[in-house]
Amino acid sequence: MSSVNSKPPAPAVRIDDSQASSKPAGAGGAPRAKRRGRRPGAATLTVFIAPALVLFVLFVLFPVLFAAYTAFFRWNGLGGLPTDFVGLENFKTLIGDEVFLGDMWRIGLITVLSIAVQLPLAFGLAMLLHQNFPGRTAFRLLFFVPYILTEAVTAVLFSLIFSPRRGFADSLLAGLGFDDRIGWLSDRGLVVFVLFGILTWKFFGFHMILYLAGRQNIPEELYEAAKVDGATGGQLFRYITVPLMGPTVRITVFLSVIGTVQLFDLVYVLTKGGPFHASETLAITMYEQGFVRNQIGYASALSIAMFLVSLVFALIYQRYVLGRDLQGSLTNGGRA
Amino acid sequence: MRNPLFRPRALVAAGTAAMLALGAAACGDSGESDADITFWHIQNEDPMKSTWQAMADEWSEESGSTVEVSAILNEDFKARMSTQTQAGDLPGLYQTWGGGVLAEQVEAGLVRDVSGLPCLDKVNPIALEAYTIDGKLYAVPYDQGVVGFWYNKDLFAQAGITAPPATWDEFITDVQLLKDAGVTPIALGGGDKWPIHYYWTYLVMRLAGLDGLQAGADAGNFSDPAFVQAGQLLADLAAMEPFQEGFESAPYDKTDGEAAVMGEGLAAMELMGQWAPQAQRDNSGTDGPGDALGFFPFPAVEGGPGTVTEFLGGGGGFAASAEAPDEVEDFMCYLLEEENQARVVKDGNMSTVAANPEAVVPEPNAEQQMVIDAMASATATQLYLDQAYPPAIGSTVNDASQGLILGELTPEEFVAMVNEAWAAEQ
Repeated sequence: MSSVNSKPPAPAVRIDDSQASSKPAGAGGAPRAKRRGRRPGAATLTVFIAPALVLFVLFVLFPVLFAAYTAFFRWNGLGGLPTDFVGLENFKTLIGDEVFLGDMWRIGLITVLSIAVQLPLAFGLAMLLHQNFPGRTAFRLLFFVPYILTEAVTAVLFSLIFSPRRGFADSLLAGLGFDDRIGWLSDRGLVVFVLFGILTWKFFGFHMILYLAGRQNIPEELYEAAKVDGATGGQLFRYITVPLMGPTVRITVFLSVIGTVQLFDLVYVLTKGGPFHASETLAITMYEQGFVRNQIGYASALSIAMFLVSLVFALIYQRYVLGRDLQGSLTNGGRA
Repeated sequence: MRNPLFRPRALVAAGTAAMLALGAAACGDSGESDADITFWHIQNEDPMKSTWQAMADEWSEESGSTVEVSAILNEDFKARMSTQTQAGDLPGLYQTWGGGVLAEQVEAGLVRDVSGLPCLDKVNPIALEAYTIDGKLYAVPYDQGVVGFWYNKDLFAQAGITAPPATWDEFITDVQLLKDAGVTPIALGGGDKWPIHYYWTYLVMRLAGLDGLQAGADAGNFSDPAFVQAGQLLADLAAMEPFQEGFESAPYDKTDGEAAVMGEGLAAMELMGQWAPQAQRDNSGTDGPGDALGFFPFPAVEGGPGTVTEFLGGGGGFAASAEAPDEVEDFMCYLLEEENQARVVKDGNMSTVAANPEAVVPEPNAEQQMVIDAMASATATQLYLDQAYPPAIGSTVNDASQGLILGELTPEEFVAMVNEAWAAEQ
């Protein structure tokens, strides 16, 4: 912070301004005109875009459309193209499927818990780690480490910790004098909360780094100006930090929800979605139906549902929440 | 010029780069093989892993064809096979349990008909049943056995039980005696689901008889009262809380699973197949119950037509891809040579499939003897339902069995769920 004092921060803002004018995302008419002037020839475009486009169509667009197509068939995936057309039957089954409804409920639950617990925790830690104190880099690193572990490794690790026999968690409680064993992963009411705890352990570091980056983006002169005007610590936080962290918070909420909808590896390795679907996610249901039960048609319908859930959420969120960030405010007027 | 954005960005970038590197390191599967025959089996631990490899090498040497062997963990094998099957690209020779899964592959034209193998006289015909579809043979077996109760005689004695139960009533009494003596009566890998379905299947076999079960499967309808009654008996057993702590999420194998609990002598019995003693040692890292381990068939249920000599059973075999070269039949016969069958039985502690067991296992150990005796007493066998039926039905039976013992499903709901799956399959 003291280093910022020595160099006047004003130029930094101006640097941002000058960058904005050359960025393609700039909304003004001038940059657009500039780009038009440099537009490359059709041949160049074709040469550069074609390879990526071919791969994209082959490995993304075609499979997605094919999945949408198979969702209208009863098909076990064997022996050529699907032939048994059933119309909307798969989707009708879906909305009456208790496992699917349970998946949706758990997505909602984990999302709410994430926003209420995980993100505030990450936010608080980011604020702490923004302070200048010895060992700050070590702490930042330490908190980020769980995020670097692959999900499968995390799951194996926690399956040992929560093992019903001599698991670390039970041993720890026993050492503290609590003799009752807890069915961490075997209690159908508890397992989803244990899962949430593991998700928090794994992902809070990621959100923390985003918040830290967001916090470092807030120009220090705002705080200095406010202090000169006699603002207290609480007021600095309430009227500068919180509003200017808005865009970062909104993005992390978005990432958190999308991540929850797509949750698979960690849960599959840890519990396989059990006991009796108590920790199952949409992706696990899809995998079970498609690759264990060979009901590819129904699994495709599930994947379409998953896609729609993500899409509808993304559209609504972008329109009503992220929309604010696109209109321009004190923080991003110069950049976005 | 120092941009204040630089540092956090670098932090995020470094994190992302590390993640990508880890992700890339995690996927290591290579592409196509140049070998004449690819051979996928699931004995991914020594000594059996080396034995298959050695046999492949020896045959390669003799025949001049090359074999590439992959040893794959059971659950991973199933996952990889389902994608291979859907791609229509099966390995040259691969592990199969027969039944509905094999039937689906056969129907898709992916499996080689090996009815004409010249060496089938070396195999016990009972061991071929699971691989015979519409009168044609599609695989050769290397292991065949039965499911029954493996029990710890010391723990039974501790509870004052002198003889294994012959009827379901006696069984329930013994479970209560064991509980009263402070012994966990039953080890169960409830998280894996399939170990639970053995209980339900056996109860149906005893209450409806094999004919009743077969009739239900043929009609795709389990509405006969015997199916509901079987569910009720299993639910009643579960209500006694006879299983080890945490059974709801426990796997069968791994260090905290059913086999390990038995291996460490922490539960009195488990309902499991011929591989149980070996798995008890492997997963617990102990020598298992040793001489204290006994075997008794699933008890008879009063009033049901099923007898204790009707077994749930199965084993392992190898099927060949329709696209494998003709030499694959040669290789299959090489594996069935009596000398090689003897190596499989010895190294893998498998149950012999030989037409002439004495030639292959002249001196069976106590465990093998128990399975051989049970097989000899068997009047009929039924393949595990999750292999015998199409995957959608088998998985539903497994799933419903779990729901039943957890009290999430009533016996009636169980039957309705399976019937629904049958209806969707037709």
